[in-house]
Amino acid sequence: MNTRDRILARIRLALDRGSATAQSESAAAVRDRLDNHPRGPSPARDWERVPRFRERCFSLSSTVEGIARLEQVPGAVARYLGENALPLACVCWPEFSRLEWAAAGLQVEARPATGEDAVGISGVFCAIAETGTLMLLSGPDSYATTSLLPETHIAVVPAARIVRSIEDGWDLLRNERGALPRQVTFVSGPSRIADIEMTLVLGIHGPYRVHVIVVGG
Amino acid sequence: MRVGLFVTCLVDLMRPSVGLSALKLLENAGCEVVVPTTQTCCGQPAYNSGDRRSAQALARKVLREFSDCDCVVVPSGSCGGMIKIHYLELLEESPELRPKLQHLVENVWELSDFLVNVLAVQRVPGQFHGTVTYHDCCSGLRELGVKSQPRELLAKIPGLTLKEMANPEQCCGFGGTFAVKFGDISARITDEKCADIVATGADAVVLADVGCMLSIEGRLRRGGDANTKVLHFAEILAGVTNDPS
Amino acid sequence: MQVTSQQFKRKAAEALANPQLRKALGNLRARMVSGRARSLLELENLEQIREAAKSARDFALAHLDHLLERFELNACARGAQVHWAETGDEVNQLVLEIARRNAVRKIIKSKSMLGEETGLNHYLEAAGIEVRETDLGEYIIQEARETPSHIIAPAVHRTAEEVADLFQQKHKLPRKTDIGEMTREARMVLRPHFLTADMGITGANFLVAETGTSMIVTNEGNGRMTTTLPRVHVAIAGIEKVLATLEDVAFILRLLTRSATGQPISNYLTFTTGPKQAGDKDGPDEFHIIIVDAGRTRVLASDLRAALRCIRCGACMNHCPVYQSVGGHAYGWVYPGPIGAVLTPAYVGLDNALDLPNAATLCNQCGVVCPVKIPLPDLMRKLREQQVERGLRPWPERLTLKLWAWAALRPAAYAWITGMLARIGRWAGGSKRLIHKLPGGAAWSRHRDMPAPSGKTFRELYRHRR
Repeated sequence: MNTRDRILARIRLALDRGSATAQSESAAAVRDRLDNHPRGPSPARDWERVPRFRERCFSLSSTVEGIARLEQVPGAVARYLGENALPLACVCWPEFSRLEWAAAGLQVEARPATGEDAVGISGVFCAIAETGTLMLLSGPDSYATTSLLPETHIAVVPAARIVRSIEDGWDLLRNERGALPRQVTFVSGPSRIADIEMTLVLGIHGPYRVHVIVVGG
Repeated sequence: MRVGLFVTCLVDLMRPSVGLSALKLLENAGCEVVVPTTQTCCGQPAYNSGDRRSAQALARKVLREFSDCDCVVVPSGSCGGMIKIHYLELLEESPELRPKLQHLVENVWELSDFLVNVLAVQRVPGQFHGTVTYHDCCSGLRELGVKSQPRELLAKIPGLTLKEMANPEQCCGFGGTFAVKFGDISARITDEKCADIVATGADAVVLADVGCMLSIEGRLRRGGDANTKVLHFAEILAGVTNDPS
Repeated sequence: MQVTSQQFKRKAAEALANPQLRKALGNLRARMVSGRARSLLELENLEQIREAAKSARDFALAHLDHLLERFELNACARGAQVHWAETGDEVNQLVLEIARRNAVRKIIKSKSMLGEETGLNHYLEAAGIEVRETDLGEYIIQEARETPSHIIAPAVHRTAEEVADLFQQKHKLPRKTDIGEMTREARMVLRPHFLTADMGITGANFLVAETGTSMIVTNEGNGRMTTTLPRVHVAIAGIEKVLATLEDVAFILRLLTRSATGQPISNYLTFTTGPKQAGDKDGPDEFHIIIVDAGRTRVLASDLRAALRCIRCGACMNHCPVYQSVGGHAYGWVYPGPIGAVLTPAYVGLDNALDLPNAATLCNQCGVVCPVKIPLPDLMRKLREQQVERGLRPWPERLTLKLWAWAALRPAAYAWITGMLARIGRWAGGSKRLIHKLPGGAAWSRHRDMPAPSGKTFRELYRHRR
């Protein structure tokens, strides 16, 4: 018996199911729960998705604005960066490479971020209204570094992609993609820490700022 | 209805006026109260120290003594909790006792809970002209749901003002043998409770367990506070003090 | 980690005498207790969610073998390499092997309490590999050569001044006094390590059987970097970390983050399934998961099983009057507070941690706030019972208990003894009705007076009344 088998044997001994029937009932219960993945109880949701999403972003110290169309994103980004005296050179996900960045006065490259990049512009797989959260999937065109290494992360969120809860996010993922990508990351605001004298500080290893641009809706 | 009074070992030895007050309150409300005279201890000190066997012996004794009562009333959340919450598990190795045990467990009441929710007492004999604050004893609160009942009763006392302390639900630091085994930690916890009490400016702290009383009063007096009274709610409701009647 | 739980009393006394620690613990309590309470107000069905969380954890434990098998199957199907370790030493050896095979010279670490259990950092450093903790609190204690004193806020016992001194000494930069500036300095100092590390090690908050996924709950961003930037990622997790489905994780998280820090959600939830996929621009080439026993199967088989439900939120210690008074180091191992009082003897041996389950008033503040309803006082009592059964209690204590029980079972003797005590006590109290020193009661009298009894027992007074 190898280590794995010894550990599993000790677990089975500890659980002491007894009969073979009980053993197969356990396997069936597990299959059933995994196949059906029932939802646990959640609090009442008597709010509208988009207002709730915006309100929660604010409470997380993200900033939020709404625009009507995707084409307006470069203008919105330029305004945000200008108002906050931030650098105008950014990196973005490939899905935004065709927008009119130069016309808005911005220098934007569609590539993964490095330690030197100051502003990262990403999309989302979807966003979670309940908590003001962005759901990001790893993939060839959704670089992890964009929302991680730069000090400023700008996320473009189509209003139609704001779902109510993480559970809804999982269902959307299952329906649209089938399986999980290598990494699913839920981002809720700028990075934070309260390890020194319980004092909250925004901006530690991840971004200092998260700016969310809600498109449409 | 035959009401058995389980006085508790600490009341018997240290604060009999609590027992006499309980008796008075129950009789005033029209109960036929019996006090089995062979009662001693519910077994909690042994139980919490890990001595199951002694605890079981004491539990069986309590069961014998109170088996002909319709219900049992206890002026202590910790002893009441011991009987109501822990006796079933403690005596699970004696299934022959189960019917009697079930009856006891279903009909044991902490005193304030009994006065409010069974007897629906409207008037009480005591008076108190001053301010009190109330400490929520842990077992009473978390095992038996004793929270509003003592406060409702105190509200019936003419002249009394209740002022809540910060953190009334914080432990007083007694914990039975904990107070002697880890005295320095216990004292720190009690100091915070005493500070919260004194900060209310109340004339008295009222509570529901003699264990908490000893812990709080002992620490108050050691710290030089000879004025803040420490009273069981039964005493203040019954208008009985430490002097035996 | 080396066990020093045998020194609980001494370390507790030191802690009580430390005014800075007192202030730090007061801060922790103020933030964590009120933060949790406030954030839970939005869950109007809190008790329903708590009960469901308990059920989901119990389901996982009741079917642990099948769930671990499914987890392994699903993780491997996605290219993860799954290893099993029976002891802490095996974990360390496995990690070193993986590091050596991949010519790893530098490791970045995102917090793992299990890694603390096994002494992983020291083991790897002794083998010549640089290990860098990246959670700010863990980084601070690593630099200070200390152990964590809280499972969520490991450096809570340190003041800002002390951290400023530490940073000045280690970073060789001008001393910062502002906490924000210190944080920025830490970011700046640690950032190059993220970008140059060969391997990342994390723990796992949960292992999801449904998808073969390992997930972590963080706020800082180091967890994301550790699982993405280096070319090798190793996640270590105890067997009890398994949950059945993604839905189970989602609803339990609502309780976890609120119970831990009062946040409705933590900054980053990172779900990792397998290594880099074809086409990905980021991610490790290799992803290893080490599933660890290290005493957990023994607890599973015991009447302490409920302790394995623990989701490591820290609420129990935040609300415990004993932890609030003495902090985490007194407990002498990895897990402090009420959960530590149960897990420490369970994992390191009953006789190495005799004081821990006894250093509690059994007030049950912990049980009331535990998101998965672990009956902590009951488990502490069970450990006390085990100590009695194995004759581990000191003889004076055993004798006193036996005498008490002997008397309490004999009403006549009891009445006589208590009658005497009541009289003596009344006399000893004098006119002040207060006893300052109890004969044979030195432990009580060291800290408290004893209000004198009234001279007669209730039994006597009742008899006279009738």
